[in-house]
Amino acid sequence: MKIRSFVHSFPISLAIIRTAAIFVPGQQRLEWLAEWKSELWHVWQACKDESHNCLHDKEEVTAFCLGAFKDALWLRRNDLNATQHRAFRLGSPSRCGFFLAILAAMSMMLALYLPGARKAILLSPYQDAHHLVMISHDANLWAPYPTIRLDDYQSWTHTTHRLFTGIAFYQPILKRVRVTRHQTAELSIGRASDNLFELLQIPIAQNVSNPTRNDSTAALVLSHAAWHKYFGDDPQIVGHILDVAGQRTRIVGILPDDSWQLPGQMDAWLLEDPQQLASLPSHSKGFVLGHIRPSAFYASTDGQWHMTVVEKSGRSERYDCVSLAEQSQGTFSVFVFALFLACLSLPATTSLPLGEYPVHKDHLPWATRIRRWIFLLTKIGLIVPIAYYGSVALAHWNPAMNPASSQYIQLGTSFLMFLFGFRWALRDQRKRCPVCLRLLTNPARVGQSSRNFLAWNGTELICVGGHGLLHVPDISTSWFSTQRWLYLDPSWSSLFSDASLGML
Amino acid sequence: MAAEPKLSHTAAMILQAIHAGHVYGFSVMEMTGLPSGTVYPAMRRLERDDLIISRWEQQSIADAEQRPPRKYYKLTRSGRTTLEAMHKRYPLLARLIPSPEVENA
Repeated sequence: MKIRSFVHSFPISLAIIRTAAIFVPGQQRLEWLAEWKSELWHVWQACKDESHNCLHDKEEVTAFCLGAFKDALWLRRNDLNATQHRAFRLGSPSRCGFFLAILAAMSMMLALYLPGARKAILLSPYQDAHHLVMISHDANLWAPYPTIRLDDYQSWTHTTHRLFTGIAFYQPILKRVRVTRHQTAELSIGRASDNLFELLQIPIAQNVSNPTRNDSTAALVLSHAAWHKYFGDDPQIVGHILDVAGQRTRIVGILPDDSWQLPGQMDAWLLEDPQQLASLPSHSKGFVLGHIRPSAFYASTDGQWHMTVVEKSGRSERYDCVSLAEQSQGTFSVFVFALFLACLSLPATTSLPLGEYPVHKDHLPWATRIRRWIFLLTKIGLIVPIAYYGSVALAHWNPAMNPASSQYIQLGTSFLMFLFGFRWALRDQRKRCPVCLRLLTNPARVGQSSRNFLAWNGTELICVGGHGLLHVPDISTSWFSTQRWLYLDPSWSSLFSDASLGML
Repeated sequence: MAAEPKLSHTAAMILQAIHAGHVYGFSVMEMTGLPSGTVYPAMRRLERDDLIISRWEQQSIADAEQRPPRKYYKLTRSGRTTLEAMHKRYPLLARLIPSPEVENA
């Protein structure tokens, strides 16, 4: 079936005409639509009158409707009155900057939308994060598995008063919880010492150690996500009794969103006093947090300290204390390192000079000359946030991913983004007119390679605004090593019919 | 004296069609056999060069005939001058689309 014969009803024809009108520049749209509609009516009338050749008539109607698209595209291409759109024509610096800004905004929004990336970017939610440390065997703040034995923690609560103002313990476990009378769910519970939230200075902890609570019921703090998922945001949930694997617990609060940025994805925290914790096997392992006494540790620039503990057996054990502030600084450190590596690698991928631009005999205005450099810096300045937020979003796309893997992914992606982003910025800059900053067009081959000693050979590009020509040599020679710009004087302007572009 | 605009054969044919009394877009298309995607842009160019002008007919006329109002085109003074010059350049133009005075002669 021919496409030209499918338009066989007036409403469809009208819809096609209206669709075509979308492409007409706004100020002319109504006028054109009115004329098309009017003429379409007459086309239909003519077809009715000459109904002897039905197929021919349908084709005529379809041709008229599809012709409207040609009209619209012609109008759009020749829309000389729409000055506000001129700046956004292909290759204009405004358009380039606009797209880079959009890309930067999109990557930032993506990074802030993804929970894992948001945690990595935002500053630590803990008020005294610099003095809060994670104590571990391997100096890894994002270690997925606990490394400190419960009996070590218990002994430290008595022996480390000179080093820490307080230490807290938590152990991620899976427990079946009866969330409603007829429903149970397996939740990830952080079995923790009852001073955990007090140490982190999260207000929820104030309710936990309520002296009026004289029963033996353990306190349970729900995460905001679990409260939403299992309890439907019930505002009266605090005070309810829950059965956690046979243990009676009382819900004492809801932890605000983004307040938990420590290892382990928790649905709830079961806060137990030292006696209850002591009932656990002594060799079971958990995470230990401490709040250091600044006077007990030397000042550290990298937020890491070391602690040596002499055990009962006489053997000394070394532990690493990593500041929680390092968590938010981690992505930034990776970003800075990737930026440094990219800057080092850049000369290997493209030449750094922007070419030779002789002094213009008519002396370009100071603002025009500086604009070129501002444009280059703007491009580089927009590539940096694109690479940073984009790499963080990719690295933390999956919150369950191993933090070490996330760091490697961030390093790799940000390095590649920086390297190829900067490379593009330099190459793009070299292809632009130094006066109007538009991309140069109409590349033409000049000369022959076999005559390289007699004349230069390479590619010649032209500025559509008539500002000059760019000569890019194919082979660098001692007398023509890099691309060279040639300014054209106003006597050439008659050759450039669309000289208005040059004013951009 | 200002140089006369140089027209393509297509534009000259449209100018001739309008001169011959085919003053609406669709009738120009019918007469010349050109598609709408060619005729309307060409007419806009002719209008931009002041060779033709366009007007919407009165609503009352359209209402009386129970149809939408149409936009009609007619030649300007410079359009007529240009068309005369085009007749010298394209001698078959007048025979291809005869104008009323030629037909009546």
